Amino acid sequence: MSHEALHVQHLHPMPTEAQLAGELRFKVVGRLDTHDMPRPVSGRKVRLPWVSIAVLAIIALGCLLANIIAPGDASYMDLASPAKAPCAQYPFGTDMMGRSIFAMIWHGGRVSLLIGVLATALSTVIAVVYGTVSGAGPVWLDTLMMRVTEIFLSVPSLLIVIFLQAILGPANVVSISVVLGVTSWPTIAKVVRTEVRQLRQSEYVVASRCMGGGFMHVLIHHFAPNFLSSIMFMVVMNVRGAIASESTLSFMGLGLPLEIISWGSMLSNADRALLTGAWWIILIPGLFLVVTLVCMTNIGNALRGEVNRGERNL
Amino acid sequence: MLNSDYVRVEHLSHRFHLTRKIAIDALKDVSFAIDRGEILGLVGESGSGKSTVARCVMGILKPTGGRVIYDGIDVNAAKLSRDENVRLQKERQIIFQDSGSALNPRMSVRRILSEPLDIHGLSRDREAREKLLIQNLDFVGLDPGVLESRPGELSGGQRQRVSIARALLMKPKLIVADEPIASLDVSIQAQIVNLFKHLQAEHGFTFLFIAHDLAMVEFLCDRVGVMSKGRLVELAPTRQLYDSPQHPYTKALLAAMPIPDPRRERSREIPVYHAPEYVTRQEWTRVGFDHYVLMER
Repeated sequence: MSHEALHVQHLHPMPTEAQLAGELRFKVVGRLDTHDMPRPVSGRKVRLPWVSIAVLAIIALGCLLANIIAPGDASYMDLASPAKAPCAQYPFGTDMMGRSIFAMIWHGGRVSLLIGVLATALSTVIAVVYGTVSGAGPVWLDTLMMRVTEIFLSVPSLLIVIFLQAILGPANVVSISVVLGVTSWPTIAKVVRTEVRQLRQSEYVVASRCMGGGFMHVLIHHFAPNFLSSIMFMVVMNVRGAIASESTLSFMGLGLPLEIISWGSMLSNADRALLTGAWWIILIPGLFLVVTLVCMTNIGNALRGEVNRGERNL
Repeated sequence: MLNSDYVRVEHLSHRFHLTRKIAIDALKDVSFAIDRGEILGLVGESGSGKSTVARCVMGILKPTGGRVIYDGIDVNAAKLSRDENVRLQKERQIIFQDSGSALNPRMSVRRILSEPLDIHGLSRDREAREKLLIQNLDFVGLDPGVLESRPGELSGGQRQRVSIARALLMKPKLIVADEPIASLDVSIQAQIVNLFKHLQAEHGFTFLFIAHDLAMVEFLCDRVGVMSKGRLVELAPTRQLYDSPQHPYTKALLAAMPIPDPRRERSREIPVYHAPEYVTRQEWTRVGFDHYVLMER
């Protein structure tokens, strides 16, 4: 900033009417040059877990292109060759009913990932709206809503899932996503609520409200950009959690029925597979599941590191 | 006292509840009016209720007693028509003390300035909007280069100018500035106060200016109100207040103004004002032309 630019007019004597009307009119004092202003250099190193991202991308791409990689019906049963070890015809072998595990992995992955994404999308939407209402609302509403989430959190989520699943009847992809979605929002909602509670006091939110900004305007323009980075980690972890929960449920026989192929329902064959020594039936879907979950955990952890390193805007 | 119909603050009281048992009376029966095109200054020590008045006038706080009438609209009425709400939102603008927190650090200056336009769906045309933004930056002495900057990249003075530009964008009729210069250093304070003076002369808005710097208030304001412990104790045209202060608190406040002469500064005595512990009946008394003092009966 050049020194000539910082010309300060003396306060006294007071400018006369004529001065105000004539010469001073529109002579802005202390015009600042912004051209030669030093710009901050953004030299922040972003370290992303590239290996995890690449592996996850390959798995996701494989699932999306399942029809090209493994054309045909994945649930086709080759009754002549049940529980066949990996060979040229069946790269990953076949299960007890003679279905190609290679085809099932890619087709089933679609279902598993879809459930993860759907459940997370639903729970994130619920969490953001619930958290914002709680954070921006009056104290009594906030207290009430937070006690509700605590009650929700204190009950084992698996119990609620089983309970809801029992109400909804036979599971399908959408119903299981809904069940997993409506049970996994409280932790995100609590984070959103805390951030909103601090942000709503800030003067730019007050200014926005004075200018006539409504609830949705303030949520989208002021709250969301600030809490999004801190919930990103939880959102990714939520996808992971939903996929894992689906597998758990299916393994226990509470989730998707056997005819809907997912990584979880593939694992539900595991008990019989273990007895016959057909390791590929359990190991291969298990490996895909574990690798996917590990990759997501890595990405989630990296996101959390990013958020913690940067300056918080609270 | 209430000689204008433009902005009327009538018997305003506000009580903050800290806990269930402890409450603070931030405002006690404050009344005044602001005329169109006038610059009214409010001075007083920290905690005297200046900001609470500003927030009640802007409708950010709902006063526990009294009311604020803006051009015939009761600002804190439970139900206002859509037209009235839009008028209040467009015609009143506030400028905060700390421009660092009054501007969203994640938004560029362009988005910050566009916000009021977006809310009210004004000047959607790209070119027209660009012109409007540049014009308003020009009013406050910033060049268009700052449009892409974020508040964190600007200096305190530049940020405060951006806040002022945002307030000006809606062509407001009333600007409430809550200690707009308190967080700036002295040379920048002078710039900003000069800027206010020019802008007010140019745009003719009504201005409620809150500060604790008496020299700045003397330079800028037409009339000055003095607040102490939640009460308005004196209200007079600037010259009159500075020449012949009547209330003991005003006298003490004005006597505390530093004199730029070390010898006189060292030798003078500053009267100390102790607010009476038990407030007896007080009453507004007219002591001169447009000059009112809160006096004990």
